[in-house]
Amino acid sequence: MENVKIPVNVEEFKTQADDNLFVFVDNNTLESEKITAPRYSYWRSVLRIFFKRKSSWVMSILLIIILLMSIIYPMIHPYDEYENILLGIGNLSPSEAIAQMGFDFKWILGTGSFGNSIWYGIWASARTSILLAVICAAINMVLGVLIGAVWGYSKTLDMILNFFYNIIANVPYILLISVLVYIIGSGFGSFVFALTITGWVGIAYFFRTQVLVIRDREYNLASRCLGSPFYRVVGHNIMPYLTSVIMTILATELPSYISMEVFLSYIGIGLSAQTASLGRMISVAQNSFMIYPWSFWPPVVISSIITIVLYVLGQNLADACDPRTHL
Amino acid sequence: MKMYMLKRILLSLVSFFIVVGTVMVLTYSLIDRTMIFQSDGAWKKYSNNEKTMYEQRKYEEYGYLTLEEATDYLKTKYQETDGEAYISNAQYQAAIAAIKTTSREENADLAEFKMKYLKDGYKVNYLPQITSGSKLISSAYLYATKDINVFVRIFTYFSKMFTFETIYDVDDPNLTDRYIRWEWDKRSNMPALVGSGTTHKYLIYFDNKFPFIHQNLFHFHLGISNAEYIGSDVADVMVNSQGEIVKTEQEYPIDLGTGITHKIGYDFHTATYNSGELTLAELTMFNDRYTICKTNGDGLTMLGNSFIMGIIASILAYLFGLPLGVLMARKKDKIADKIGNVYIILIMALPSLAYIFMFSAIGTGLFGLPYKYANAEIKVLAYILPILSLALPSIGSLMKWMRRYVIDQQNSDYVKFAKSQGLSEREVFSTHIARNAFIYIVHGIPGTILGALTGAIITERVYGISGVGNLLTNAVTSYDNGVIVACTVFYTALSIISLILGDILLTKYDPRISLSGGR
Repeated sequence: MENVKIPVNVEEFKTQADDNLFVFVDNNTLESEKITAPRYSYWRSVLRIFFKRKSSWVMSILLIIILLMSIIYPMIHPYDEYENILLGIGNLSPSEAIAQMGFDFKWILGTGSFGNSIWYGIWASARTSILLAVICAAINMVLGVLIGAVWGYSKTLDMILNFFYNIIANVPYILLISVLVYIIGSGFGSFVFALTITGWVGIAYFFRTQVLVIRDREYNLASRCLGSPFYRVVGHNIMPYLTSVIMTILATELPSYISMEVFLSYIGIGLSAQTASLGRMISVAQNSFMIYPWSFWPPVVISSIITIVLYVLGQNLADACDPRTHL
Repeated sequence: MKMYMLKRILLSLVSFFIVVGTVMVLTYSLIDRTMIFQSDGAWKKYSNNEKTMYEQRKYEEYGYLTLEEATDYLKTKYQETDGEAYISNAQYQAAIAAIKTTSREENADLAEFKMKYLKDGYKVNYLPQITSGSKLISSAYLYATKDINVFVRIFTYFSKMFTFETIYDVDDPNLTDRYIRWEWDKRSNMPALVGSGTTHKYLIYFDNKFPFIHQNLFHFHLGISNAEYIGSDVADVMVNSQGEIVKTEQEYPIDLGTGITHKIGYDFHTATYNSGELTLAELTMFNDRYTICKTNGDGLTMLGNSFIMGIIASILAYLFGLPLGVLMARKKDKIADKIGNVYIILIMALPSLAYIFMFSAIGTGLFGLPYKYANAEIKVLAYILPILSLALPSIGSLMKWMRRYVIDQQNSDYVKFAKSQGLSEREVFSTHIARNAFIYIVHGIPGTILGALTGAIITERVYGISGVGNLLTNAVTSYDNGVIVACTVFYTALSIISLILGDILLTKYDPRISLSGGR
């Protein structure tokens, strides 16, 4: 036993082992916490699933075309509804307009009642509609989701907010919007304000119900027992679970503002005449849509295409955001 | 459960009053009050001081403020002093004359008027005489006004909501014979409750029109219009018959029982008291002062139009939407499901205005159906397109939800268990899947039925059908405050009632659900 040296400390062990074959590993606490798993990136998987569908490709390309047209086109050819009012070329059909004015893209869809070019009009209006939808959706979604999360999580707040929800949800929004538009004017900014001042309430209520359902699940209970503060439970435990729900709301919200603008203009409380909008084009043309169909259908078709594209893209994104589809 | 319902109803009532209050603040306080004269023809005719006074009187009529005029004050003060009429009283004359001069402060009566109302928180205003040379353009007025606050307004609104007719309703000193009694109604050969001194002559009567028994004893008011239907109550506007006046062979009240008939559009049972001067025509027809009658139109009422369209559309929606949703769920990812999904996407994403116009273009172009109600030769056909336009989106949304619920049920463990026990597809579907999937659908049924009463804004506009859907939107664009408040009360009441009914129906359909169960 005297001959055999038992390694008692590191230095002695090192000298005994073959240095070329073994490397000593530190007792690193940070490294030991890591769990080995296949590489998984959530958002990369979302995109992979999203672009697996053919409809996503088609709709994305359509969206890009519409976006480019509605952003660039009005820059090159500014639209003014009353620019040709003295020329006396109101309500010309496309063929009449081209025959009279010579071939130009401007006349490809004929003219409206003031001699305005419908082709220019739809792109300038599409820009307003898309901008309105994006801004309103952004404001309402942020407010709605944040407030909805707190609303669903806190039981005392739930009582108070439910009471207010019953009130706000029952005040006719047509009235609210028209009063606001009356007080602060009907420009683009005030219209956004009118649509967002109570617009988030519906989203918040819907989101509150979703939070309510998973608030008391066991894993959240466990998390709370371990001392997670409120913001961690909501932000880290509940929110990721509801990503696809948020996307589903977004998919219905985005097109809904375009429909809303069209509807409000139709009943006479929409944007002012200074701002070109699809709703105004439709409501101006709707009285004689049987006689001058060319000034009525283009804005209807463009607004329909935009809403469908946004809806389908949103739905596909919502499906892709559900981690269960990532397998 | 009873406690819960009581609490719930009380809470709903509180929020209902707050909604009405909010809307009153929005309409009466936030919108410039001169907007109400936009569509008032009489207002445009007045000028100078008379215009201001007309405005003030209208503000009082529409509930903006309380108005006290110095002339009225003096009249009541000198009504019966020393047994002489106020008009011959020297002090009254002096006070009336003092209004026209700037020395009015020295007149004791006018100073009293001013002091009295200033103390009560009124604002006292004086409009001096306007003259051009020696010609009087506008006379002088002295008046006091006080804005009504929102609580008083809510209180007066709801206290005026239900009224009963009494024999003291008619303010006419010449009417001495005041009574309510049962009489034999020779027109319908049935007994009728007849009043004198009441606003209506026939308080309860029978006739051959639906619902055959009619009453005028008890009235429901929603608020008075100041623009489109000047002076009439919204509740009456909603239930008055529309369309061309139907003229029938009837006896005049003066020769009832003689058998002499005339072709006339009046419904003599609706006669109300006329306190003005009777015309010659009225004297030849009536034997009393109850001469203001309604006419009967051949069209439906506003509420009737909206309800008929809404209810048929809802029935169609349930009839097609539910089976189609089930079909989509059972053929998931097959061709039927795909077609259904395309339809749902189109109906959900398209602006409603867009598909209603597309639909009307298809209906009129391909099938030759009438487009506008007014142009339709057979009026019933004019309802087809609007009803279908209303049904299509409801079918889409019912399909969407039914598909979702059935798929969720199909994947649940108890359905797999039932199948493994050897139950047939049909049995599993009818006893398990359908019954559970319906739970969610049942909740919306009361809302759908009552919602039909609120009408449809775009559909009614596009097809030119006069229903209740556009009352609010028209009122908003013409600043018709009375109608705005009335519509809010009507819609809010319906939505609150349908939510409560929906919850009750839910607990009746599925006993597992308990509303009052605390967590």
